[in-house]
Amino acid sequence: MQNTEIIVKPNDTETCELGRQVELIRQQQEREFQIGVYVSWAVLFFFLILAFSGLKIDLFGFEIKTIALDIGFITRSGPNIAEGIVVTIILSTASIALACLLALMGALGRLSRFPPAYATSTFYISLVRGTPLLLQIFFLFFALPQIGIRLGPMTAGILALGLNYGAYMAEIFRAGIQSVDIGQQEAAYALGMTRNQMMHRIVFPQALRLILPPIGNQFIAMQKDSALVSTVGFVHEILWRAEKHGRRDARHLEALLVAAAFYWILTIIFSVFQSKIEDRLSKGVRE
Amino acid sequence: MTQPIQPSSMVEVVDLEKFFGTLQAVKQASFTVDIAEVVCVIGRSGSGKSTLLRCLNFLEQPHHGSIQIDGVRVMARPDGRVDPAQIHALRLKTGMVFQSFNLFAHRTVLENVIGAPIIVKKMMIAEATDLGLQLLEKVGLTDKKDQYPSRLSGGQQQRVAIARALAMQPKVMLFDEPTSALDPELIAEVLGVMRQLVEEGMTMIIVTHEMDFARNFADRVIFMDQGHLVEAGSPTQIFDQPQDARTRQFLYALDHQN
Repeated sequence: MQNTEIIVKPNDTETCELGRQVELIRQQQEREFQIGVYVSWAVLFFFLILAFSGLKIDLFGFEIKTIALDIGFITRSGPNIAEGIVVTIILSTASIALACLLALMGALGRLSRFPPAYATSTFYISLVRGTPLLLQIFFLFFALPQIGIRLGPMTAGILALGLNYGAYMAEIFRAGIQSVDIGQQEAAYALGMTRNQMMHRIVFPQALRLILPPIGNQFIAMQKDSALVSTVGFVHEILWRAEKHGRRDARHLEALLVAAAFYWILTIIFSVFQSKIEDRLSKGVRE
Repeated sequence: MTQPIQPSSMVEVVDLEKFFGTLQAVKQASFTVDIAEVVCVIGRSGSGKSTLLRCLNFLEQPHHGSIQIDGVRVMARPDGRVDPAQIHALRLKTGMVFQSFNLFAHRTVLENVIGAPIIVKKMMIAEATDLGLQLLEKVGLTDKKDQYPSRLSGGQQQRVAIARALAMQPKVMLFDEPTSALDPELIAEVLGVMRQLVEEGMTMIIVTHEMDFARNFADRVIFMDQGHLVEAGSPTQIFDQPQDARTRQFLYALDHQN
């Protein structure tokens, strides 16, 4: 073979062809990675199921006992525990809505140069972040009635979770608002917009794009933290029901596993939903 | 308030001072700009020329002096507590073009142009759209009207920014180094639009490093150094017979850059 043949300068169509091949290979590698991940998940899931299958496995002469579950209990109590899913969803959704509202006000207070607004915001954030969520829940359920304030169980639960998450999320909102380039504000002002118009029309829409993923993350966490409200005994969400059934039949293992499964499924469904939203948002940015 | 305003002067700045902490960025700046006059402000980076321009629409709060634009007169206060309504009135008289374009990233080109007329002036959407399309045609970007700013070149973004400022029908256009962030090959298209505005008789104050543009299109050139308005005059006076040593030094350094 002659040397000259190797030193061919690729013309445009050839580079295009090479580019397509590179892209195809990259896609193929990506697919293989995905398949590998799915298979590994399936294997891990299989072992998890196996661990609770009750089977006796003979492994090279060693007998391995797996955990046996009371299937009868699960089929009897499962549907009733499942009814708690609706309560959990309502509780966590209403709480995150309240938290968003408080977080927005908290963030605006943190960014304000008006001392009372700034102080109110930092005071709220400090107080809530400085005390345990469980204490706050107990306070709303048990301490308030002592001074004559009786809230409905759902109201108290939503207030406790919303107040708590609002304080943490205020920092997320603040960071989102601050990350919008200052030039956007200046342009709005130069065009004669008021501060309210500038925030509402220019800053918030751009900040929202940045804070939606972390808000989703907080919502996922909230779905599980809502279980803390079960400890006071008045909100009949997933964990409360599981505990009740588990105690009655002395089947805590089964009851908690059923509850865990429900929480996990909820989280997985919302995570898929969230990653779809994030894909959409990131496309908008690249466009 | 009692001071009579000369009918021919569109902008009148008296004794303007601006501090950043203890650093004085603008020192006793006084000047007037006539109707349809084009004034270019030149000087080194950090000489206070952008700060001076940004004081005119109160993006920076001046601490002393007064600004009058088209009959709206605002007195600066050291504590910055100027009536927001006065600042608003001043901003409605001015349109500003920034070095970094600052187009609204979440809005399309057309939405960028018609947003302020709709939000601030409560203009009807149909009317604003007509105006917006007209302005986009003027800057040659009608075909980009539905694109987002991030899909546009710097030159295109700056032309949209000019159209956006014009949509508020300002009396004076303020340009803050409009071509400094652009790749060299994109500068001409922006200067072209600005030249068009000069020909249409727009009153303009331009902070720029484009000496050729200043020489060819400015009615007056102001040279600033360390916060002072050192020298002002026709382009010929400033570029060919500079009186002040600092002006001469600046122009000498420019000539020997390349």
